[in-house]
Amino acid sequence: MVSHSMLKKYFGQLETSLRSKLESKVTARRRFVYEIARIGSRIFDNDWSIGWTTVFVPYEILNSMGVSGMFIEFFGAMLAGSGMSSKYLEISESKGFSTDSCSYHRTIIGAAMDGLIPEPDVLIGASIPCNGGVKALKRIGEIFNKDVFILNIPIEVTPDGVDYLTDQYKEMIEYVENETGRKLDYDKLKKTIKYNNQAREYLIEVNNLCKNVPCPANSNDLKNFIIFVLLQGTKESVEVAKLYRDEFKFRVDNKISGLPEEKYRLMWIQNRIQFKTDLLNILEEKYGANIVIDELNHIWWEPMDENNPLRSLANRIITHPIVGPVDRRLEVITQLAQDYKIDGAINPAHWGCRQSAGARVLFKDALQKIGIPLIHLDVDCVDERNYAPGQIMTRLEAFLEMLSSY
Amino acid sequence: MAIEGGYGFLEGVIFVNSCDAMRRLHDVWKRYVSTKFIHILDIPMGNLSLGSKYLEIEFLKLKSALEKHISSPIKEEDIKNAICIYNISRLLYNQLNSLRMEDPPLITAGSLMKITSDFFKVEPEVWNEKIKQLIEEKKSDTPKVEQNKNPRILLSGSPLHEIEFIKFIEEIGLNVVYEDLCTGSKFFDLNVKDSNNLISSLSEAYLTRTPCARMMQIKERADQIIKNSEKFNVDGVIHHSLKFCDTYLYDVPALKKILVENGLSVLFIESDGGLGDVNQIRTRIEAFSEMIKN
Repeated sequence: MVSHSMLKKYFGQLETSLRSKLESKVTARRRFVYEIARIGSRIFDNDWSIGWTTVFVPYEILNSMGVSGMFIEFFGAMLAGSGMSSKYLEISESKGFSTDSCSYHRTIIGAAMDGLIPEPDVLIGASIPCNGGVKALKRIGEIFNKDVFILNIPIEVTPDGVDYLTDQYKEMIEYVENETGRKLDYDKLKKTIKYNNQAREYLIEVNNLCKNVPCPANSNDLKNFIIFVLLQGTKESVEVAKLYRDEFKFRVDNKISGLPEEKYRLMWIQNRIQFKTDLLNILEEKYGANIVIDELNHIWWEPMDENNPLRSLANRIITHPIVGPVDRRLEVITQLAQDYKIDGAINPAHWGCRQSAGARVLFKDALQKIGIPLIHLDVDCVDERNYAPGQIMTRLEAFLEMLSSY
Repeated sequence: MAIEGGYGFLEGVIFVNSCDAMRRLHDVWKRYVSTKFIHILDIPMGNLSLGSKYLEIEFLKLKSALEKHISSPIKEEDIKNAICIYNISRLLYNQLNSLRMEDPPLITAGSLMKITSDFFKVEPEVWNEKIKQLIEEKKSDTPKVEQNKNPRILLSGSPLHEIEFIKFIEEIGLNVVYEDLCTGSKFFDLNVKDSNNLISSLSEAYLTRTPCARMMQIKERADQIIKNSEKFNVDGVIHHSLKFCDTYLYDVPALKKILVENGLSVLFIESDGGLGDVNQIRTRIEAFSEMIKN
């Protein structure tokens, strides 16, 4: 049994180290990770309440209520990145959690069982992207004797569906108010929408810049950028997005490639591999293969209305490509493949990811139709205990060789 | 099987947003199987205060889609009739199922699961008549069930379609007296109220029924298992989860804890629903049987 002070120390050290690096040189990536570390530290700040969540919840609302939202998969990923997931996977497995379930979830459940994470004030889970996330949150809630507020995200984009989610957001606000005693600051919420719109504009520019050949980003510049959702609606999110835009624009204007001698342009589907591996370095250095777009970095939503924040936020989530039948997601993947002029796509096919596994054949079909090959890696992105780097590399090498003949 | 035309006889398929895998099955079915009518119904889970109204809208959407497909309106009285017929089916099933309260049960789980399975395949009116006859026969006949003092089991978990699996448990020497399954006794634990707004009645009934694991209400689910364990006087609970079935697998440690705290013996089995790994499962069930006998 460990105390969550270990986690506090981890985020504190990360924040200090990145601050010192930022003082010597500001890069977009450093600033991004620094802001995330600050959010990590915030869960130990008494000025904030703590909300453990799944990924598709409106952080803008939570931020406006003084609740520091943290999605559980981020923690699973972070623990894997720090080489700590195996310990927590073993803890949850020893308590009866199936090794066939998602290791992002098993890691955080094990960490909660071991006392690593602080007690939440609220727990909020959304039905999308997966049932496993809500279930994992329920199990974490039981450890702290707390229930989970569940958001049902409608699977079809209709006015009724947007009304339904908007009404659920109102109930969620009531729930948070009751649990924390914190009231929603409506002006603050409106401001988060303004910041979101500003950051969105910069991020669209960032993505458009990455369509250049060669790409101004390398495989790591926008790695795991999905965690940007934790910053959404903050002044810092706008600053981070602008830094990326400025950095990439400078590189494009000055013909600086993110990866020197970019030979293959790749798209990454869903999440990256979270534990430390030299896979991407080998791809870049040995083969000149660069990940120029992550599917999850796509900006899919329309600008939001500051005067109608709840409905705008509901509309943003319902229109997410991962919500609903897979058709929208396939359209986006196909469009990204064309816009970013990719040569091939990598789908890690994370073990235990039910929402994605069933569609793998459809990803391949959709990309094949436009002549883009895709490789499924069949890897567990968090659990490194069974990771076979040689085998994965051999498959990727064969894939890249095949690309050269296209 | 569907891709190879095995379900070519179907006019339509209605999927339910019951889990991630089912959503993807809907996607793959649409892409590879040319069924004429394909629809997905979005059923809310967990927090139900707003869900009932939303489900009502979902049912109305399904009604419109079906009307379009059959080029004919679905009349209010047709819905009323159907609700009535299905309510009778559930009543009849529960009458028949009560025969399992006897010790030994007056009907085997294998034969009852066959009856349940038939319910999904034949016209409900035909099924109702058959069950009425069966109940009459049971009332008048001397029970033909072999006398035994086998332990009594409540079977819970993922949907099971293999009747052989239930028979297998019975052959080992356990009397399965209640199936807390979406394909067993729990399926019939529902009653739709007659009202001026039948779609609303349907929505309320389906959202407030005994929850399955997908509804994220583990306490209510556990309460129902405990209640039925008492009602059917069971000696132990076997919880079966299909491999990769997250909705049930994620519940196992917490559910087991609640049930054990309430004095129930629990065996957890994970399988692919068939009898592929039969010997291993047999050994575990035999050991469980011995344990609860003592």
